[in-house]
Amino acid sequence: MEGKLVNDGVRIAVVDDDESFRIALEGFVRSLGHTALSFASGEVFMGSADAGRFACIISDIQMPGMSGIEMKQRLARKGIDTPVIMVTARTEPFLRDQALAAGAVCVIRKPFDPQDLIDCLDGALRG
Amino acid sequence: MTTAAGPPAEPLLDLVRESVIVEGPDGRIRWWNSASESLYGWRLEDVVGRRSGELFDARDAAEPGLMQARVQGEAWRSTADGRRRLVDFIRVVRSDRAGNPVDVVETGRDVTDSRRAEDALRKNEHRYRNLFQAMAACFWELDFSTVGEMLYRAKKSGAVADFPSYFAEHPGFVRELMRATRVVDVNDQTVSIFGRGDKAELLTSVEPFWPEASTAVYAASVVAAISDRQNYAAETRLRTIDGREFPVLFTACFPPDTMNRGTLLVGVIDLSEQVAARAAVARMQSDLAHAARVSMLGELAASIAHEVNQPLAAIAANGAAGLRWLARDEPDLHEVHALTLRIVSDARRAADIISRLRAMASGQAAERTAVSLRDVAEDAALFLEHELQRRDVRLTVTMPQRLPLVSADRIQLQQVIVNLAMNAIQALAGAHGDDKNLILACAATSDGVAFKVEDSGPGIPPDHLPRLFDSFFTTKPGGMGMGLAIARSIVESFGGSISAENRADGGARFVFTLPRLDRG
Repeated sequence: MEGKLVNDGVRIAVVDDDESFRIALEGFVRSLGHTALSFASGEVFMGSADAGRFACIISDIQMPGMSGIEMKQRLARKGIDTPVIMVTARTEPFLRDQALAAGAVCVIRKPFDPQDLIDCLDGALRG
Repeated sequence: MTTAAGPPAEPLLDLVRESVIVEGPDGRIRWWNSASESLYGWRLEDVVGRRSGELFDARDAAEPGLMQARVQGEAWRSTADGRRRLVDFIRVVRSDRAGNPVDVVETGRDVTDSRRAEDALRKNEHRYRNLFQAMAACFWELDFSTVGEMLYRAKKSGAVADFPSYFAEHPGFVRELMRATRVVDVNDQTVSIFGRGDKAELLTSVEPFWPEASTAVYAASVVAAISDRQNYAAETRLRTIDGREFPVLFTACFPPDTMNRGTLLVGVIDLSEQVAARAAVARMQSDLAHAARVSMLGELAASIAHEVNQPLAAIAANGAAGLRWLARDEPDLHEVHALTLRIVSDARRAADIISRLRAMASGQAAERTAVSLRDVAEDAALFLEHELQRRDVRLTVTMPQRLPLVSADRIQLQQVIVNLAMNAIQALAGAHGDDKNLILACAATSDGVAFKVEDSGPGIPPDHLPRLFDSFFTTKPGGMGMGLAIARSIVESFGGSISAENRADGGARFVFTLPRLDRG
């Protein structure tokens, strides 16, 4: 039915400016057995003390202010190499290429196929 | 004084204003009176013995010997100062019993000036007649003497306090006045526009040319005529002799000298073309606005799709999570309940976006009703409550108990307020705790209401201010920049205006004004 969970109960961060989606994604991640914490923007995430203490970050690309890609770049500059899964509602291929070039472990579409996200997470958490 | 050959001078003739000249049959002047001296400029002693014909250099010099007994005529004659004067004269030959001419007596008048005046008057008349006939406007000469009598009698009967009210209350009487107004003359244009080619047909009363609905304009022109006004003009509709109605500019002028004779002058200009042009422009503007909306839609579609996508994606994620919660050995119904509520709310959000899109695409006219901004603000506050709580923004609403009503579409106004408030809430995103203030305030103005949306955020960068309400201007990446442009177009469609500024104590203030209901 669903992919098996490699790690149980890890901390996952959800970053998205759209409140409905953010809460829903947070709930979905919890339904997989993980702990989820959500942040309304890249700025808020970067400003938090926990920025480096997640097993994985799931982030929207298109956000007002700091984009998901920019956030990944800043994390890298800070030496934080937490795997980042990027989510986007936009379909342009170049956006996907940009995200991957910045180091995203995968890029999934919004609305997402649950199995896609589960597979991504498996991959990310396995390192 | 006497001369050798002439008759004794008559002192009486020196009192006469006409020139009197006595000549011999040979045409030589024997005597003339002082009026002749004044007219021609020579003194008697200078002209005695000279031929009048040569003196006056007249072209009509009657031949002595072939003279008729009585000649009357006009001639241009030279005077001593070299000018030419027109003289109207009568020459009588006096003969003895044998029939031999004894002398010729001429009386004459200088008619130069009065002839000039007559010519000028005739030219004026001629020119006026030409104008009257040839003008592109329709001219009517009306006899309203009977109307004058009817008004006098009505006033005398005591039934009339003031004519404007009397006319308003007695339209039948006004129609009677029309029947008593006779057409004396019309120009060619009138025959062409109002008639069928026969001028005589139009020389009736004016009543057939006035539709019922235009009666008030006729009444107003009568009021103007009896109020010492110089003229009167109004747009109205008149009728041709065939009964076809058309829009006109009706003008009447009341020059005192013609009024005293009971004559009125009316000019009518056919406005059919102008009215049609105005209607065409209005239609075109409406079509253009619609086309603009539709073309915007192509661009909006991308943005709307994005907007709809968010709730859809949330619904999908919530649904997927729900299935997982339910699949556990101990289904977590608490979570399922919470996410189901979120699904319902997100579905409603998506539906709202779609219906807004549909309304814009169909170019639906806004439904204008009497709206209290107080009610709209309260609805908007309810709508925003959720968001305000989430973002920890404090809302203050300042509104007087009684506000003037405006004529507007309630939903659209709510859209505007929510749009402005959401912008404010987003602007407050970076601020902290107590400092997140949103203020909605409404106050009556001299001719309507002013609604303010203020925030305690970072304010608007000054170089953005001039472009804020332009279509496609946005500071949000991926934003379409339509919110404020649409807000402006909504507010302006109800006769209002919108503006933005930064507050002195920080933050932005958006103000829109609307005219009160009775001013439209």
